[in-house]
Parts: sequence; structure tokens; C-alpha cells
Amino acid sequence: MKTKGMQLRYWRRLSQILCFVLFLFLFIKTDYSGSNELPYAVNILFRVDPFLAAAVSLGSKALVVLMWPSLIFIGLSVIFGRFFCGWICPMGSLLDGVHRFIPQVRAGNTNRFRSFKFYLLLFLLIGAFFGLPAAGYFDPFSILVRGLALSVYPALNVLTTSFFTFTYQEMPAWVNMVTEPLYASLKETILPFQQNHHDLALVSFFILLTIFALERLERRFFCRSTCPVGAFYAIVARFSLMRGKGGTKCGKCRNCMNVCRMGAIDEERHISPLDCNLCMDCIVMCPGNKISFGFQQKEVRKPAFMLSRRTFLGSLMLGTALPFFLGTRTMAKRPDPFLIRPPGALPETEFLSRCVRCGECMKVCIGNGLQPSFLDAGIEGLFSPRLSARTGYCEYNCTLCGQVCPTGALAELTLAQKHVTKIGNVFFDKNRCLPYAKGIPCIVCEEHCPTPDKAIQFREAQVLNSKGETVWVMQPYLVDERCIGCGICEAKCPLPGASAVRVTSAGESRNPENALPVQSQLY
Amino acid sequence: MDRRDFMKQVLLWSAGISTSIPSFRIGSGLLAAEKEPPVVSHARGKNYYELVGRVLEPLGGIGKFVKTGEHVVIKPNMAWDRNPDQAANTHPLVVKAIVEHSLEAGAQKIMVFDRTCNEQRRCYVNSGIQEAMESIKDKRLAYYHPDTRKFIPVNIERGKAVNRLEIYKDALEADTYINVPVAKHHSLSKLTLGLKNSMGVLGGNRGNMHHNLGQKLADLATVIRPKLTLIDATRILLRNGPQGGDLDDVRIIDTLVASADPVACDAFATTLFDMQPDEIPSTVAAYKMGLGEMHLANMQIIQA
Repeated sequence: MKTKGMQLRYWRRLSQILCFVLFLFLFIKTDYSGSNELPYAVNILFRVDPFLAAAVSLGSKALVVLMWPSLIFIGLSVIFGRFFCGWICPMGSLLDGVHRFIPQVRAGNTNRFRSFKFYLLLFLLIGAFFGLPAAGYFDPFSILVRGLALSVYPALNVLTTSFFTFTYQEMPAWVNMVTEPLYASLKETILPFQQNHHDLALVSFFILLTIFALERLERRFFCRSTCPVGAFYAIVARFSLMRGKGGTKCGKCRNCMNVCRMGAIDEERHISPLDCNLCMDCIVMCPGNKISFGFQQKEVRKPAFMLSRRTFLGSLMLGTALPFFLGTRTMAKRPDPFLIRPPGALPETEFLSRCVRCGECMKVCIGNGLQPSFLDAGIEGLFSPRLSARTGYCEYNCTLCGQVCPTGALAELTLAQKHVTKIGNVFFDKNRCLPYAKGIPCIVCEEHCPTPDKAIQFREAQVLNSKGETVWVMQPYLVDERCIGCGICEAKCPLPGASAVRVTSAGESRNPENALPVQSQLY
Repeated sequence: MDRRDFMKQVLLWSAGISTSIPSFRIGSGLLAAEKEPPVVSHARGKNYYELVGRVLEPLGGIGKFVKTGEHVVIKPNMAWDRNPDQAANTHPLVVKAIVEHSLEAGAQKIMVFDRTCNEQRRCYVNSGIQEAMESIKDKRLAYYHPDTRKFIPVNIERGKAVNRLEIYKDALEADTYINVPVAKHHSLSKLTLGLKNSMGVLGGNRGNMHHNLGQKLADLATVIRPKLTLIDATRILLRNGPQGGDLDDVRIIDTLVASADPVACDAFATTLFDMQPDEIPSTVAAYKMGLGEMHLANMQIIQA
């Protein structure tokens, strides 16, 4: 019995390590790999998440077929309870991994906030249905991947690059004989190909950090009290076939209670499947070998959710009512004209209801053009992707963002479709654009314009430059029908500071109301 | 001319500038008087490997430019995320051939790189050049993406429009620099040829080069001095340059042009587009600075 428990515990650890390594591997592989098609299902973590599947399906009032793998895990939970939290979840593994470095402020399990996750789940699902898509703000994988993609991973690159720049510039040749090959091999393997820069980098980092800080209160505090995925699994686990049976008449020893990372064991030594994540530590710690996990444990009491009716109804009403307040803001009438969504994005409401803020598209964007929105799409649009074309642009022959989107918020486009999908339209600021404003030749925008028949054309014009000389310059103008809004012109405009050419969402394919008023003519 | 010789000449030139009367007018005429008329070789053919060898013959073969033990930079144009048929980048087989010829000539190390305009990896892959390089199994060949740490600020002593540029270290230090541009249309410079292709070794904000581009390219040509320019005109992009994308804009002419004189090479290649050398601002500016010949009449044009 004891050896069996021991073995299971090691299998569990092995599973955690392997799943975490797989997670990191897929994270790093969320990148261009020499072909436009990604060889791995890098977004799989989000597609097995039943909470996100439920929220997205409720939000879009449709079954999101992409997320079918989550059914497998619901099925497995019917058998094994919350095993996902203990054996698979990379967030949980990470918390277990750093546990020893974050001592609790108080010993013992209080479980004071245990019910919160159920209220939160209810609020998020009801809110999703009525039009407040906030699932991604609490989903552990969204928080984790976003934190890694927007801050930790780029920061790792800043750190290593600064170090190797220092050795390269300041150290003698014999040091570089070691450091340069090391740097090269790191770049080959774990470092990103290029340095990315992101809006909300620190915010994403601190949100991730908060989950670790909460470990101070209780072990796996987030999993016990907040995690909506955990709450979803807890509800399924209420009816799970396999469950743990604690010792009922075993005296004063409280080893199992103390060792339980989820606080799943109460004073009577009942193991609650709502919380138990099958880590198997208690089996090992029980001196009387009284704890077992099995399928035929009829005497095990079905646990209660311990919810207060008042709070339950409160969450329900909040989730129902709050979405309707969103429609009162000005942005419901006039969306931000600089909110450029990635190619393949569904119409805004549907897009937001599906987007789970996972950050995969921003991670994979090879132009470093996709950035998390702050409040430009409302509080319900926080962290949703937008093209920030002065930072980076949308690469003409690339369709990676649509491939990594786990929910279809960004439709997967073929290259031919992408080439005609208009995400915006550019406008020239003639007060700043050099050939207009200063009579200085430039035309870098036209050079980079990627459509085969260039959307940016120019006219030769005679103007006075700032010295009062009459000069001929090429002045750019746009052919609206050809522009797809990729923003390479804005990214490459050589003016310091703001670009003289800017993308706006005008004319975007996904929104007929945003159609451009007049069709321009070639002349 | 080897590196030492080059440095010596640069020093002498700068000495000449600093000691002469302010209006320093050592013109092309003086240089031309000292030199033989430059040889410009051109050839047509479908077999690009053979074609590279053939076009170099009138110039004395690759051995004239690449000596045993030398470090060689071969600088193709692979700036755009376009495939070989679209004629925006140097043809991969031309790059492969010149690399193989240089290896045969005994180069100790060959470096192939470009600072791209579109995403770097996409350009290397889609241009077909990465695959062509991978197919050459020789440890002396290195093709890589420029390392941002290795752009060095360089004073352009003779610069008229620009006096400081960031230039890639390997391009500056190579014993032999071979420029392998593709000939194509470009709205601002009219055509992009050899001189324009040198922009691929620049760091920093290259957009600024476009203000008075012709003169700035000539200024750059005072420090980036290819021993050999081999212009790929196997297919030429006639419109919507420099990246094209529409095969209707491409004309296949299976031609290569080569010369040790970068200006003469550009000047002759201009005629492939039914244009005259004096229509290209960079050619004119470089000629005026004495960097080479632009008048077709003063060249030895040989069809190989």
C-alpha cells in the first residue's frame, strides 16, 4: 500500500514535469519556423480548457468546434476528479515548484475563500453570455501565457543579450571564445529570434506575480479560491467515480490535513473531491495506511459546495446586469478609430466574446505588431490584440496569428484570403510627411508597400522646400481599394516620433459600417 | 587591391583632401587618365552556374578577385519576403554559383548576409537563398542574420550628403567584398543596382538615406568598395519595385553583368531597362566623385 502510494506520487511528479516541459516547448515553438504553417498545435493548452470552452461558447452562442479537446478532459474528470489540477496544469506545477521558496504567513488550512471560485465562475459564464467577456482575465493559462509572452520571455532576452553584449564589447578574446558560441546556441534553442516589445508588459508580469504572491496566504491559494478552471473541474469532480477515502477513526494525527496542498481534508478526515487534485501526498504521509483512492467507495460522503444563496444570486445578477452597462459608453457608439484588429478578426462583439486574451497571437506575431489593448476597446477588451503599427507591422505573407488563435476569434485565413483582408486604411499627415511639408524626397512608404500593385502611389509635384528653392518631389497618396492596412508604411516611416502615415480602422473588411465613404480613383 | 593597399590609398586620399586647396577637384578625368577603361562583361544563358563562370572570364575569372585564404563577403539582395520568380531578390542559383566559384578559388571563409526589409527569416527562406546555401556542404561558408551588436559607426570622410553611417563589421573587415545585386525598378532611385544594394550592410534608420538618396549612395560607395560587382538580371522587375509581387511586372532576360568597376557595372545594367546611365542619380553622383566610369563609350564592354 505504502509503496503503491509512493509510486503514484512519483508518477504524478513526472507527469507535472513532462507537462510543464511540453508547455514550455510549445510556448517557444509559438513562432515562425521556416514555413508559414506551424508544425505543432501550440495552442493546445487553451483548447483543452473546459472553462474557456464554456465561456466562449456561451459568449458566441455557438459551439466552438476548435475547442473540442476540452471534452476529453471533462470526460477524464468524470472518472478521476480534479486530476488535471494536480497532474497536468502548468500553473499548478509552477506553484508547486516554487512552494518551498514562498513560506506561508500562517500555518494550517483555513479555506476561507474556497467558495469564491464558484461565484467567480458563475459570474464569468453568465457575464460571457450577456456580453461581458472577462474569462481571460482569470483563466490561469491566459494569465500565464500572457505574462510569459508579453514580459518574462522578452525580459529574458534583454537580460541575456545585455550580458553577451557586455562580454562581446568589454571582454578579451579568450572570454568571447566561450561566450559567443554559448550565446549562439542559446539563440538557437530557447531565446526568441528577435527582441519583442510590448504594451502592458509590466502589468502582465505583475498579474502573474500576484498569483505567486498569494501563495503566502495558503498553499495553492489561486487553485483553491480563484481559479475558474479549477471551479469547473470541481463541479464535475463532485460526481467523479474515483475518489479518496480518508481514515475516519484515526486519532489525533493530522498529517494528511497538514500535507494537503489543496486543503481538501476536513477534521473528520473526509477528502473532498471538490478540492482534491489527486497529488497522492496524503497516502504517503498517513502512518496508519488508512487513505486510499478507488472506484467503489460508496460510504464516502458527497460533499456540499457550501455556497451562500445570497452571494450566489448576487453573482448571477451582477453577471446579468453588468454587461448592459457596457452599452452606455461612447465607444459603443463610436469605436476607437486606431483600434486595428488582426487579420481574420471577427466583427468586434463576436471577436471579443471569443478572444480569451491568451496572448498567443502577440507571441507569434513576427512583425511584433500585435499589442495588448489597454482601455481602447473598453474594460472588456483589456489585453485583446490590436495592431500597433508604429511598433511593428503585419507581415504581408504571414497568417500565423489566425493559426494560433485557440477559439477562432481570429479566423484562420489562407494566404490568398489574407492578401485581400483589409484591417484598416492609411492616411497621410501632410503637415509632417516630408515631401509635402518640407519638400524633402522620401517615399519610403511606397517602397515598402507590399501589395503587388502598390496601394501607395505618388505624384511628382513641384514645391518650395524650406530653403525657398523650387524642387520636384514625389508625394505619396493612397489607393484605398488596394490598401489592406498592414501598417508597414507606418512602421517604416523614417520620421522620428509619430509617423506621417497612420493606419486607422476605416474600411476594415469585418465591419461594413466602417466602409470608406468614397472610392478613390487611380490618376 | 588588397586591404592594406586600400587603406593606404584611403589615407593618401584623405591626406590629399586635407592638404589641398579647399576646392579639391580630383575628377574622374584624372582617374580615367591613369586607368585602362573598365571592363564590363555581360552574358546570357539559362544555366546560371555556367553563366556566372562565363561572365567572369573577360574579367580574368574568379581567381582575379578571390585569392586563397581570403575572407570573402558575398552580399546578395534578399531584402524582401518574395520568391525567386517575383524578381525582388537575387536569384538563389546565382548566389550559389558565385559562392561555389569563390570556394573553388580557395576562399578561407565566405560570409553571406543581408539586412532585410521584411522579417529576416521570411526573407532568407522565401528568397530561396537559405535553401541554396544549405545545399552547399562546406564549412567555410557561413550565412547568417546580421547581429545587431556588430554595426560599427563609420565616418564617411568623403561624404557630401552623409558623414556617418553604421556599417556591418564583417563587410568592413572582409578581404574581398563581392556585391551581387538584383537589377530592378525602384521609384526613388529609378533602379536598384549595385550601389543601392550596399544599403544592406547599413544599421540604424535606413529610411533617412532616402533624403537625397543618390548622393548618399555614392557617399556609402566611398567606404563599401566591392572588388567585384555581379548584377543579377536573370529576370528583371520593371514596375512596382523594389519588391514587386506581380509576375506581369517581371521580364526574364537570363543576363548577368559583371565588372570590377561598381559604377560602370550599374551604368551598363541600366541599359537593360532601356534607360541611360545619367538617369540614375546614384550612378551620376558616384561618377562625379571619381568612384568609377559611367559613360558607356569609355568602357570596354564585352559580351561573354
